[in-house]
Amino acid sequence: MFFVNIVSPVSVRSVRASVMPDEAVRVEEDASVAADHPWVVIVWNDPINLMSYVTFVLQKLFGYSLEKATELMLDVHEKGRAVVSSGTREKAEVDVFRLHEHGLWATMERDGGGEQS
Amino acid sequence: MRRGRDAGPVGRNDDGTFELLLEDHEREALLSFVSQLRELVAGDTRDPRVARLFPVAYNNDAEADEEYQRFMRDELVTARLATIDQVTELLSARGPLGEGDITRLMLTVNSLRLVLGTLLDVTEDDAEPELDEDDPVSAQWNLYGWLGWLLEWIVEAQAP
Repeated sequence: MFFVNIVSPVSVRSVRASVMPDEAVRVEEDASVAADHPWVVIVWNDPINLMSYVTFVLQKLFGYSLEKATELMLDVHEKGRAVVSSGTREKAEVDVFRLHEHGLWATMERDGGGEQS
Repeated sequence: MRRGRDAGPVGRNDDGTFELLLEDHEREALLSFVSQLRELVAGDTRDPRVARLFPVAYNNDAEADEEYQRFMRDELVTARLATIDQVTELLSARGPLGEGDITRLMLTVNSLRLVLGTLLDVTEDDAEPELDEDDPVSAQWNLYGWLGWLLEWIVEAQAP
């Protein structure tokens, strides 16, 4: 039994984006401009997912070309994160769900970095 | 068939279906790991071993995440269990795999890697540590490598 019997000191690395108060204000002000794409979906770098797998999933879920998906995957890998889609809050939640289903480390936030509700 | 058995564990048929060309002992082992995965997914989703299968959606808004998880967590568990059950069936049936089947197999193999990678605490720079062959962790690293190999082929076979 590989998984069931082994107790391991798991370090779950948490990813946290800090929200600066002035950013929050800016989001408020930009709300009308950003009305079409107020939410962004971010994929974070992780040490387990294969690069080929991440590229393939981005193509499959969002219809990106191989070139675009590879570019996003490399952003994730090298810069630590990449915005892979944007839209309404509802759309972002659906995208996050599908990415989670595929095992990618995805979160959503308001465009501009804050999540003011 | 574009690929023969020598080339890899996944082949693509002319009609667009896929063949999984695993040795019997590999297939049996995979079935056993999938059944262990099912046990974990059906258990407590806050178990650190499955942390990577159930990530946060809002990472700087605990309240919004709680609300999201209240609606979506069960749905994700249900989706994962349905996928695992279908993979168990298709591994046992040994027939050709349709497009949905290969996707479900891909998701399940990736889930196994995520759980095992979490247990092994895989990091970006980790080379496989040098371990005695009798060390049970050595067998886990072998399995992790094998799952990665299988997943690469599953992805490659679907490439347009």
